[in-house]
Amino acid sequence: MTFRDTLDLALRNLGEAKLRTSLTTLGVSIGIASLAGMVSLGVGLQDQFVSRFTKSGLFDTVSVTPGQDLPGGLARMAFGGRGGFGARRRAERAAKASPEAAPLRSDLNDETIKELASMTNVREVYPSIRVPVEARFGGESEGTLASGVPMSAKDQGSFQAITYGRFLSSDTADECLLSLDMAKRIDEANPQSLIGKELTLGHGALGNGGGGPAQPVPGAMPSANASRVDKSFTIVGIIERETGPFAGPATISGVMIPLGRAREILLATRALTQTLAPDRVVANAPYNQLIVKVQHPQNVQDVEEQIRKKGFSAFSLNDALQGAKRAFILLDIVLSLIGSIALAVSSLGIVNTMVMSILERTREIGIMKAIGGSDGDIRKIFLIEASAIGFLGGISGVVLGWIVGRIVNLGANIYIQNQGGTPGNLFSLPPWLIGGAIAFSITISLIAGSYPAARAARLDPIRALRHD
Amino acid sequence: MTTLLETRDLKKHYRMGTSTVRALDGVSLSVEQGEFVALLGTSGSGKSTLLNLVAGLDRPTEGSLRIFDQDLSQMSSAELSVHRRRNVGIIFQSFNLVSTMTARENVTLAMMFAGVARAERDTAAAELLSSIGLAERQQHRPRELSGGEQQRVAIARALSNKPHLLLADEPTGNLDSHTSRDIMTILKTLNEQEGKTVIMVTHDAQLARAYAHRTITLLDGVVVDEQREPRA
Repeated sequence: MTFRDTLDLALRNLGEAKLRTSLTTLGVSIGIASLAGMVSLGVGLQDQFVSRFTKSGLFDTVSVTPGQDLPGGLARMAFGGRGGFGARRRAERAAKASPEAAPLRSDLNDETIKELASMTNVREVYPSIRVPVEARFGGESEGTLASGVPMSAKDQGSFQAITYGRFLSSDTADECLLSLDMAKRIDEANPQSLIGKELTLGHGALGNGGGGPAQPVPGAMPSANASRVDKSFTIVGIIERETGPFAGPATISGVMIPLGRAREILLATRALTQTLAPDRVVANAPYNQLIVKVQHPQNVQDVEEQIRKKGFSAFSLNDALQGAKRAFILLDIVLSLIGSIALAVSSLGIVNTMVMSILERTREIGIMKAIGGSDGDIRKIFLIEASAIGFLGGISGVVLGWIVGRIVNLGANIYIQNQGGTPGNLFSLPPWLIGGAIAFSITISLIAGSYPAARAARLDPIRALRHD
Repeated sequence: MTTLLETRDLKKHYRMGTSTVRALDGVSLSVEQGEFVALLGTSGSGKSTLLNLVAGLDRPTEGSLRIFDQDLSQMSSAELSVHRRRNVGIIFQSFNLVSTMTARENVTLAMMFAGVARAERDTAAAELLSSIGLAERQQHRPRELSGGEQQRVAIARALSNKPHLLLADEPTGNLDSHTSRDIMTILKTLNEQEGKTVIMVTHDAQLARAYAHRTITLLDGVVVDEQREPRA
């Protein structure tokens, strides 16, 4: 008996019991819809997460901080400590444990930048600079952090969309960008009117170092010859600062100035600090953190590893992403288990339908056996019937799941927008999920149909022929 | 003449609760190729059981059953299904057509199991049905056919895989006397002109004597009488 003949027979049998077939198929499609819907939700959430991650521009970034023997890079990045308590003790212990390991390094300076920039697959290295400044506009002032933005950040990450105005024009321009929050603090009603206006940034310096008119800093030790430097920056753009866990690189803060300008301020304040409190300055390391940009995201791990071998601490969001991906796999599993409950119920529906169908067709099975149908032929007919139900149920289930997903997504997005969030696709239905759901539906139906099919195959032809 | 079928001390016992039913209790007989044999007996005599064993629908409890030099008692269920589709064509009292299929589809179904290609079996089924007088009724379902027509479809189906042996279990049991004569004439023609060996089960001794070469009478699972009929 050829496959096509078996298929024809199976389909015709299903067609003979249209109501039962369609109800069973509907049951399967609801099961598949719930499963596909759940997985699609998991995938959708993951996509949202990953796309926000990608938008942050940190996939190709390794941040370098002074070496530590513990993987404390994230904590260091967050808290800006210099090794933390017991750093020396740990360093000594590490050195003792593996004497061949490279000595820990903390020289985050321009030479190191050149050294790291010469590594393969590294596109760019620049220091991450945030300097405390006093921003003045009109009659008001506010203490804030000014961060240095490299020219390469143009059109990248959070700078992809500049809400008002434009990006900085050069590394030494006297221009600045404001975050929307900052701009609103200055002019609540009309932040875009700030474009083109001047913002004065003041910082401490040694002597008459900054270039601007130096003024004595009140409260500073007169012997230190401290002075205050004010510099005027033209506001050229305002960007909407991303909030939340995906806030983006450290370059985003209230005030953003060209990296070259930020470095000048950093060196000036550092010179002052060196005079006032020498013990708070690490020799030969003007920077707290270096940012290494790699050619391709897949180079991140390798570059990170090499930088660690040099004795620095290195951290990339790939580390966090790996963890997040594992969490999403777990989420997918949990969601698919929930979705599988409906499918389990509908697979019982298949068993039920087929057992009923065998009862009804006992005599027919007897006839088929009497005229030469083998046990295998009978089993095949029933298995193909089951998988046809699975196939149809799978297709309509995917469609049903998609429709329900769209509706839920619409409702959820209305809610999210009302709450002030950004709408997105919570459900994602990639081709592999469509194919997988249909294949899974067929598999489940085959498993469900295997018992009835075996029962039909085992029927004693004589008894089956006597059956009414 | 060559022997087509030979049984030796053939037994078929069923368990019914605690007691054992001896449906066949030591039957030894042989059937030559080209013969028309009638198995006579009352209900419960074991004649249908014997036919089922020959058809390969059931397995003997004891004894040997050789057809075409193959021992059916030693066959696996897959081998028995091959025997059913190649060696025998079975005709039942209640026709046993698949109710959801047309006359032609019922005939092609048997060829489908035998692996005959689609186009070939459609042509063959149409020819068979025409030859048996059902050219116009091919697309009808069993319930649209009379009893005699249904039995003719069943005969066409039994012939579809060109078996040497036709097995008929009370083929006229559900038919009126006029139609019965038609069906018997068809069987007789097949026996005489196409050389099919026919084994027919019936309780109608008159019918048996009118058409068969030989009658074998069973009672309580044993052969009690065997008569060769003078050729009509």
